[in-house]
Amino acid sequence: MTRTRQVFIFIAVALVALVGGLALHPLNRAPATPPAAPPPALLDTPLESLAGGKQSLGAWKGKVLVVNFWATWCGPCRKEIPEFIRMQQRLGDKGLQFVGIAIDEKDKVAAYAREIGINYPILVGELDAVEMSRALGNELGALPFTVVIDRRGAVVHTSLGATTEDKLDTLTKGLF
Amino acid sequence: MQRFLIFIALLLTAFAAKAADAPDLLAPQAAFRLSAKMETGDELLVRFAIAPGYYLYRNKLQFSVEPGGVTLGTPRKPKGRLQEDEFFGRVEIYRADVVIHIPVKLPPGSHSFTLLARSQGCADAGVCYTPQQQKVVIGPGMGERVPDGAPGDGRSLVDSLGGDTATQR
Repeated sequence: MTRTRQVFIFIAVALVALVGGLALHPLNRAPATPPAAPPPALLDTPLESLAGGKQSLGAWKGKVLVVNFWATWCGPCRKEIPEFIRMQQRLGDKGLQFVGIAIDEKDKVAAYAREIGINYPILVGELDAVEMSRALGNELGALPFTVVIDRRGAVVHTSLGATTEDKLDTLTKGLF
Repeated sequence: MQRFLIFIALLLTAFAAKAADAPDLLAPQAAFRLSAKMETGDELLVRFAIAPGYYLYRNKLQFSVEPGGVTLGTPRKPKGRLQEDEFFGRVEIYRADVVIHIPVKLPPGSHSFTLLARSQGCADAGVCYTPQQQKVVIGPGMGERVPDGAPGDGRSLVDSLGGDTATQR
């Protein structure tokens, strides 16, 4: 084998390794584009409501829904909630509806919701709620995870990690 | 020719470094890699290899065993780093490598058991993982065991509890 050929083989192998490495990189496994329409079960999954009884997301169909998966033990989640409260106050009349889904213990959620004055419904879940967020593209089961659903019930955006009022304004602007 | 090879090698290294810097997230089993082994006949050594940019809460680490009959003593958790948290005040966290010693009492004739480690952690990138449960089978002569399927199968605690077919052995 000539020296030149050896070099080419070396480069070829290195490139294959690089491309393979990038393809398998966790970046590419992070939540991708949201599923266009959630399976019907998603809107119909009943979760325990902080207000009492069970409730599913289907109860708010027809609204522009922002569903936020969170927990009291999650610092980044707590950081963005005041912005959600403001936004609910500002755009609730236009048809915007936040729903929080807490993967947490009910009494802790209730105490925190009271403390900071959450003005939108909160559902509480465990396995069921994690599965819901997974079905929406949150493969890692990490929090916070926020989903925008249009009036027809189609998922238009999902984001992992803290979001902002500005970003949600932009995302929901065309949906009212 | 040698210079050319070095150039290519450096180029590839630069690419790799760029990919690693990207603000992405590891699956929890890859971010918090668990392994365990019997250190002596009555002490278990549990290790979490925590990826850079990730941390575990010290007070959220819990251990249990299967089957019954095997008993665990109080885990000796090393001191963590104190981190000022905007919401929780001072919290004790682990980064990098953490080794925990746990006394174990095996019933006569019993040589193997399953360790269940429950942990909770976050990434500096601004997300927290739902509580995770990882399982490791410990037996004589098994050396240091890492759970099958780890890292990266991304099952959370509630998953593990929900369906035992998906648990790590």
